[in-house]
Amino acid sequence: MRHLSNNIDTKQLIACQLCDALYEKPQLKQGQIVKCTRCGSTMAERKVNSIERSFYWSMAGLLLLIPAVLLPLMGVTLAGQYHHASLLDCIIALIDRGFFMIATLVFLFAIAVPTIRLLGSFYITYSFKYNKLKPSLLYFFRAFHHLDNWAMLNVFMLGIVVSMYKLLDDTELSINMGLLAFILWLISSTMAASTLDQDYIWQKLEDEFVD
Amino acid sequence: MNLLINTAKNNNLALCPQCHKVNVLGDAASDEKIQCVRCKGMFYQRNSRSLQYTLAWSIAALIAFIPANLYPIMIIYSLGIGEPSTILSGIGQFIDHGLYPIAIIIFTASIIVPLLKIAGLFVLVYRAHTGIRLRPDKHSKFYHLLEFLGPWSMLDVFVVALLVAVVELGFITTIAAGPAINYFTLTVIFTMIAANSFDSRLLWDKQQNSDENF
Repeated sequence: MRHLSNNIDTKQLIACQLCDALYEKPQLKQGQIVKCTRCGSTMAERKVNSIERSFYWSMAGLLLLIPAVLLPLMGVTLAGQYHHASLLDCIIALIDRGFFMIATLVFLFAIAVPTIRLLGSFYITYSFKYNKLKPSLLYFFRAFHHLDNWAMLNVFMLGIVVSMYKLLDDTELSINMGLLAFILWLISSTMAASTLDQDYIWQKLEDEFVD
Repeated sequence: MNLLINTAKNNNLALCPQCHKVNVLGDAASDEKIQCVRCKGMFYQRNSRSLQYTLAWSIAALIAFIPANLYPIMIIYSLGIGEPSTILSGIGQFIDHGLYPIAIIIFTASIIVPLLKIAGLFVLVYRAHTGIRLRPDKHSKFYHLLEFLGPWSMLDVFVVALLVAVVELGFITTIAAGPAINYFTLTVIFTMIAANSFDSRLLWDKQQNSDENF
């Protein structure tokens, strides 16, 4: 096996996150992706117009945040009584009944983590768009990655659909504006995350601040 | 064919799991914590305790899964009379009402996925540890699937949270959450942490070693 010497330029190398295979770093044009020849996973992707797209999607997401959280998602009518609930009401209801852990976790997965991710991608793309790069962005972007797995808006959306089915069975169900806002919020935050080109951002930060 | 693949580890290099920068390991040992030159985060080339962590969190998830199924996850009060339902009896109610697609979705998310994840991680840890019948290409795809499925188990928790908030019609009907929801959430979180602590590169390392021996 060929062993490289220790004083090599690591900027010219790329390794697969899943199987550790080592390659020379290819120069990508926008829209191209690199796949590992051993395990087939995507190693790097140069996304098209990433900064602009992610900037506007995260801005849209932040604007939709308040209506999506506060407006009622759906309501039920039974025997002349009507009651509706928003995303925030779910958490308040859980706190009222003493389910503090579940309330905290639902708050984290369905509100806090998606919001922090939107704020994070907005801040990063803003800094890139208006050329306000700071060394602290290195730390910021690393912290940002820790939240990758914990946003569960899509699961919550499926939860809304399932509970609607359940309620349709024996009550009169009404859909409120909050649901529309929530769906749009879900779309914007998913798009903001998927258009963000992490490799490009790391590369640029490295060129700027790491010698 | 695998012999031709050069890995970072073989070249005394280490990939930062956070920013994917290839670092020079230098004099540090394989299981020593090093700092990434780019993102300044601390990481291991291979965490030697990765399999232990995965195993421990999976066992914790399995234990929490037992009360999650025994206790009621939600209690429906109508006209003052409470009717508790567990995860399984809730699925039974959907079937009784003919809502098969929803029954299948809930059954998949709340029973199949957690169990598949726990059992799958046990198998992956065992295979990665012993190297017996290890197929890195298949197993790393399987690991990917488990990682992707993880958060979807939270479905039932979100459904209960929504129902509790929406159905609050005083004496006529109220829905309350049951103690199982705590245990069930713990199961989901434990399986997610278990999957996160598993390093899929260990599957490939073993393969390479066994190839070199022959």
